[in-house]
Amino acid sequence: MPVRLHLDRLLVQRRMSLAELADRTGVSAANLAILKAGDARALRFSTLDALCRELACQPADLLTWEP
Amino acid sequence: MPIMRTLGPGSLSSFMKAVLDVVWGLLLVVLAILGASLLYGVLAAFNPAMPFARLVLFEGLDPLQAWAVVLARLGTAVLFVGGVLTIVSSLRKIFATLKAGDPFHPDNVTRLRVVAVGLAWLELVRYAVWTLGALLPPQAAPDRPNLSLTAWFSILVVVVLAEVFREGARLRRESELTI
Repeated sequence: MPVRLHLDRLLVQRRMSLAELADRTGVSAANLAILKAGDARALRFSTLDALCRELACQPADLLTWEP
Repeated sequence: MPIMRTLGPGSLSSFMKAVLDVVWGLLLVVLAILGASLLYGVLAAFNPAMPFARLVLFEGLDPLQAWAVVLARLGTAVLFVGGVLTIVSSLRKIFATLKAGDPFHPDNVTRLRVVAVGLAWLELVRYAVWTLGALLPPQAAPDRPNLSLTAWFSILVVVVLAEVFREGARLRRESELTI
């Protein structure tokens, strides 16, 4: 899919583990792993809201479109 | 009066699954008996020394002709019960998923298609029996079947239901990967 989610990059920048992010956002570690691997088919606004809040970023920092 | 649930353990689906299990077992027994009878009939038709080999069921027919009629009917019964068994077998598996509260299991699409094909098979067997019955002596020929619009309509409904379940399974897959 041309839309990519840069969760791994932001986690490194914030020095945060996947488990910690799961704990903070309430999204399960398994689902975050699916997001990180780029296997998700859709992303809820509520999930995006939680990720942006805990990673202190904008949606554009997380998502990019690559043709 | 409490309303009975339709899905999950202890629901109407659970009850139906139990009924289908019993029917499936009985059909297996019936099929085994019919199969054994068919085999015995084939042997007895060509061996007059065997018990019950000299059949006099139809007036004016010699034993070999009588056995031909009986074997044709037994063969039809085997095809018919086999078709019903296939349908019940698929329904058992479908109701097992309903009992588990998972109606849009991807395999249910194929199972519903099998039910539709099974129902069509039963109808076609009826017509084939009547058509081939024309070859039998008049006193042994089966009755002419009615064209059952209800049966063909049911088959179409099951085909459409299979597509509905296919869409349901697709949506379930999508929702599983929506985070």
